[in-house]
Amino acid sequence: MSTSTAVRQPRLKLKKTTGDQLFSLALIAPTLLVTIVFIIVPVIDSVIKSFTEYKIKNIISGAPGEWNNFENYIKLFEGGKLWPAVIHTLLFVVGVVLAQFVLGMALAVILNSGLKGARFIRSVMMMPWVVPTIISALVWMWIFQPQYGLLKYAVSVITGGAVSDFAILNDPNTALLGVAVAALWKQVPLTTLLLLSGLQNVPDDMLEAATIDGASRAKKFFAIVIPYMKSVISIVVSMAIIENFKQFPLIWTMTGGGPSESTTTLAVLSYREAFVSNNLGSGAAVTTLWMLLMIVVVAVYRKLFQAEDMN
Amino acid sequence: MKRVLALVLALCLALSLAACGGGNSTSQPAGGSETGSSAAEAVLTEEITIKFANYALLEDGYTEFWEGVKSGFEAQYPNITIEWVTAPYGEITNQVINMAGGGDMVDMMFGELDWIPTLEDAGLTVPVTSVLTEEYLADFYPSVLESCKVGDEIYGLPMYISPFILYYNKDLFEQAGLDPNTPPTTYDEMLTMAESLSKLTTADGNPVYPFGQTTASVAVSGASLTGMVYNFGGTVLDENGQLATGNQGLKDAFTMLQTLDEKGYNPQNAKLKDLRQLFATGQLAMYYDQSWGFNGVSSINPDAASFTASAPALKGGSGDGASILQGQVLLYMDNGDLQREACRLLTEYMLTEEVLVDYITNITPAYPAKQSMADMELNPVLQGAAGSIDNLSSAPFVAAQADLNLELCTLAQAVTVSDTDVDTAIANFEKTASGMVG
Amino acid sequence: MKEKNIPLSVCKWALLVLILFFLLFPLYWVLVTSFKTNMEAYRATPTFFPDAPTVESYIKLFTENNDFFVYYKNNFIVSGVTALITTCLAILAGYGLSRFHFKWNGIVVAILLSSQMFPVVSRMISLYDLMNKMNLINTLPGLILALTAAMLPFTVMLMSSFFDSVPNAVEEAAYVDGASRLAVLWRIVVPLVKPGMLAVAIYSFLMTWDDYLHCITLIQNDALRTMSAGVAMRYLGELSYDWSLINTISIIGTVPMLLLFFFFQKYMVKGLVAGAVKG
Repeated sequence: MSTSTAVRQPRLKLKKTTGDQLFSLALIAPTLLVTIVFIIVPVIDSVIKSFTEYKIKNIISGAPGEWNNFENYIKLFEGGKLWPAVIHTLLFVVGVVLAQFVLGMALAVILNSGLKGARFIRSVMMMPWVVPTIISALVWMWIFQPQYGLLKYAVSVITGGAVSDFAILNDPNTALLGVAVAALWKQVPLTTLLLLSGLQNVPDDMLEAATIDGASRAKKFFAIVIPYMKSVISIVVSMAIIENFKQFPLIWTMTGGGPSESTTTLAVLSYREAFVSNNLGSGAAVTTLWMLLMIVVVAVYRKLFQAEDMN
Repeated sequence: MKRVLALVLALCLALSLAACGGGNSTSQPAGGSETGSSAAEAVLTEEITIKFANYALLEDGYTEFWEGVKSGFEAQYPNITIEWVTAPYGEITNQVINMAGGGDMVDMMFGELDWIPTLEDAGLTVPVTSVLTEEYLADFYPSVLESCKVGDEIYGLPMYISPFILYYNKDLFEQAGLDPNTPPTTYDEMLTMAESLSKLTTADGNPVYPFGQTTASVAVSGASLTGMVYNFGGTVLDENGQLATGNQGLKDAFTMLQTLDEKGYNPQNAKLKDLRQLFATGQLAMYYDQSWGFNGVSSINPDAASFTASAPALKGGSGDGASILQGQVLLYMDNGDLQREACRLLTEYMLTEEVLVDYITNITPAYPAKQSMADMELNPVLQGAAGSIDNLSSAPFVAAQADLNLELCTLAQAVTVSDTDVDTAIANFEKTASGMVG
Repeated sequence: MKEKNIPLSVCKWALLVLILFFLLFPLYWVLVTSFKTNMEAYRATPTFFPDAPTVESYIKLFTENNDFFVYYKNNFIVSGVTALITTCLAILAGYGLSRFHFKWNGIVVAILLSSQMFPVVSRMISLYDLMNKMNLINTLPGLILALTAAMLPFTVMLMSSFFDSVPNAVEEAAYVDGASRLAVLWRIVVPLVKPGMLAVAIYSFLMTWDDYLHCITLIQNDALRTMSAGVAMRYLGELSYDWSLINTISIIGTVPMLLLFFFFQKYMVKGLVAGAVKG
C-alpha cells in the first residue's frame, strides 16, 4: 500500500506537468500558428526580398528574386528620397504623439476634476475614435478643401480676408500638419480614456496628504500623479508611437504623399516603390528600414522610460 | 490527455477547413489546348468566361455603358460570359499584376494608354496582333497604333482617343467681356484674357480661376504636363527613350506654370477631377483635359454642355501647340487560343458604330480611333478642338513611364507650391529621372 | 478640499470647450453637409445649417448607388466572424499565457509583441503570394484569417491580463473536485472574464471595420469588398467628386459603429482600460 503510493506520486506529478505543458501548448498553438503564418512568415519573406532584384516579372513567373548585392539599399541611400521620408516619419510620429499626449492629458485631468456631466462627455468625446480611418480622412479633406472648405473660410474670416486661399494640404510646409490634425482627431479620444482611467486609480489619500502638506496643484500633479501613472503613460505612449509609425491609409487618402513629397513618410515611400514604381525589392527595402527604425525608436523610448523609473 | 488531443485535432480541423473554404472562386479557362482553327469554332459553342479588368465599371459616368456592353454581348453570344474584375483607377494595374502572379491572369483589361509600358514590361500583355487580324487593325489610324507600340509591337488597342484639349466656359468669357467664340490660341493671349477672367466671381461669391493645369501627383497629371511641354515645342524624352530635358520648351512650360501660380490663376496641386469639379461649378474658366473628362464635368453639373466649348491646346514659345495623344485602350493577356478568340469577338462587338458611337458622342466625348468611324458626329463640345487631333507629337514609352510622370508632377509642384526656381527644379528632376530612364 | 479658483475654472472650461469642439464639430459638419445639395455645399460662405435641408443624397445612396450596402453586409460578416474567431483564440492563448509559465512563454510573447509592430504594408506583397498558394485570394475566409492574425497579438495580451486578475484559488478548488483542465477553463474561468471577452470582441470588430489595406489587396471582386475599400473604390473615383454623397456615406458608414460603441461602451471602456492599464 505504502509502496504503491510512493510509486504513484511522482508519476502523477510528472503527468501533471506534462499535461500542463501539453494543455498550454494546445491553447497557444492556434494563435501562434495564425500569427506565424500570416504575419511572421510574410515579414521575413519581405526582408529577404529586400536583398534581391524583385519586380513584377518575378511575381508573374513565380521566379525568386535574385541577390543583388544590397543594390536596393544602396540606391535608396544614394537617391534623395529616403532621408526626407525618415524625417517626415519622425516629425509626424513625434508631433502627433506629443500633441496627443498633451491634449489627452488635459482633457483627462479636466474630466477627472469632479465636473458635472463628465461621464456623458467621456462617452460623447469617444465618437471620433470609432469613425473608420478612411472616413476620417474624408471628413478632414472636406474641411480642408481648398475652394469650399470650412477651414479656408474660417482663416479668411479670422485674418479679415488677408489670407483668402488657405489650403493646408496644398502647401508643402503645412500639408503634414494637416494630416497630423486628422490623425490627432481620431486618436485623442482613446488616449484620453486610458489616461483618465489612470488618473482615477491615483489614490485619493495620497493627494489629500499632499494637500495637507500644502503642496501646490502643479507640484501635486508632477510629484504624485505623474509618477503614479507611469505604467499607464508608458503604455499609452508606446501604443501611440506604434500606431503613428504605421499610419498609411490616412496619409495615402489625404495627400498621396504630396505636394512636393512633403507628406511622403516611410509608409508612403514603401507603398510607392513597391506598388507604383513596381519595384517590390526596393519597396521591401524601405519597409525593412522602416521596421528597424521603429524598433530602435520604441527601444530607445522604453530605455528612457525605464531609466527614469530607476531614478 | 484525450481531451487535449481532441481539442488540438478539432482546432487543426477547424483551421484547415477555414483554409480550404471558398477556394473555388477562381475559374479555370475552359479548355486550353485547342489549336487556332478549332478555337474559332469552339468559341461559338463552349462555355467561356472572359475575365475583364475594368476600373471604369465603378465610376458613375461609365457604369451604364459597360453594363450595356456585357448584356448586349452576352445576348449575342450566349455561351460567353463576361466576368468583371474591378479595382479603383489607381490600383487596377497592381491588381491585375497580383492576380497574374497568383496564376490567375485576366483576359482583357480596359485602361489608359500610359499603362501599356508597365504591363508590357511585366511581360503580361501580348501584342494585339495575336488577338486581332491585320485586316481588322488596318482600319485604325496608323499614327494612333504607333502610339501604342513598345518596340515594334502594338500592345494596346485604342477604343477612342483624344489629345489634351482646352475646355473653356463660354458664359464666363462673356461675363468678362470676351468673345465666347474666340478662345485663346497662344499662352500670351491666354494670360491677357486671364487677367479679366480672374476678376470674376460666381453667383455664390466664389472666386473664378482663369486657367487650370493639373499638377497633383497622379500619373495622368504627368501626361498632361508632358502635353504642355510639347505645346512649347519642348521634349521630355527623345525618340530613343532617353531623357532630353535641356531644351527651351521644357523650361518655358514650367516657367509658365510658375507664372500662372504666382498670379493665382491655376488652382494649386489639383487633380483632373478637382479641375472638372471647379469647371462644372463655374469656378474655372479654362482648363486642359482629355476629351472624356467632360463626362466628369457633366456628372456634377448636367447643364455643363450649355456653357462648355473646346479649343486646341495653346501655342507657347517657339512651339506650335502640339499635344500628346491620350487614349483609352484595351489590353490583352494570353490565356490560350479559346480565350483570345473570345476577346476578339468582344472587341469586335464593342468597337462598332452601334455600340460605341452613342457612348463617345453623348456620354464620354471622344474621337474615334477607327477610320471607318471618321464620319461620326462629334459631341458638340468637341467641335472647337477637332483640328487638334492632327497636331500630335509622340514619344516612345519607357518602362518607368508611371514613375517618370510622377516625377514631372513633383517638378511642377516644385515650381508652384514649393517656390523653387525653375532651373534648380529642372536640375533636380534630371537627377531623379536619370535614375529611372535608360 | 474644494477651493474656488475662478481664473482656473475659466481656463478649464475654455480648454474643455475647445477640445470638445475639435473632436465633435467635424462630425456635425459632415452631418450638416450630407443634408445639403451639392450646389449649397460649394458656396464660398458656408451655411452652418442647411438653407434647404434635403435628403437627396440619402435617397441617391439608397436607390442609385446601393452597391454600398453590399460592402456593408460584407463588412458585417467579415468583422463579425473575425471578432468571433479572435475572441475564441484569444481566450485560449490568453489563458495559456496567463496560467502556465513555461520556457516558451517568453518567445510567444516576443512573437506577439513584435507582430503588433510590423506595418501591414510590409507584409502585403508576401501575404498575397501566400494566400494565393492557399487558394484564399479573393475569398472572405482568406480576408478573415488575415485580419484575425492582425488582431490576435493585441487581443491575446489583453485577454491574458484579464486572466491574471482571476485568482488561482478558484481553479484549484475545481481541480481538487476532479474537473478536467478544459472544463475548468470553460465552466469556471471564462464566465469570470466575460467583460474581457466582450472588450476583445468589440475591439476586434471596430478595428476590422476600419481595415483598408488587407481588403484592397486580398479582394478583387466587387461583390466581396468591405466598406473602406469599397468606398475608396467606388466613390473616390478619378472622374469626379460628389461631396454631398461622400459626406452621406461618411455618416452611414459611421453610424453602426457609433451605435455599437454606445451600446457596449461600458464593457468596451472597462475592458480596454483594464487590459491596457495592467498590461
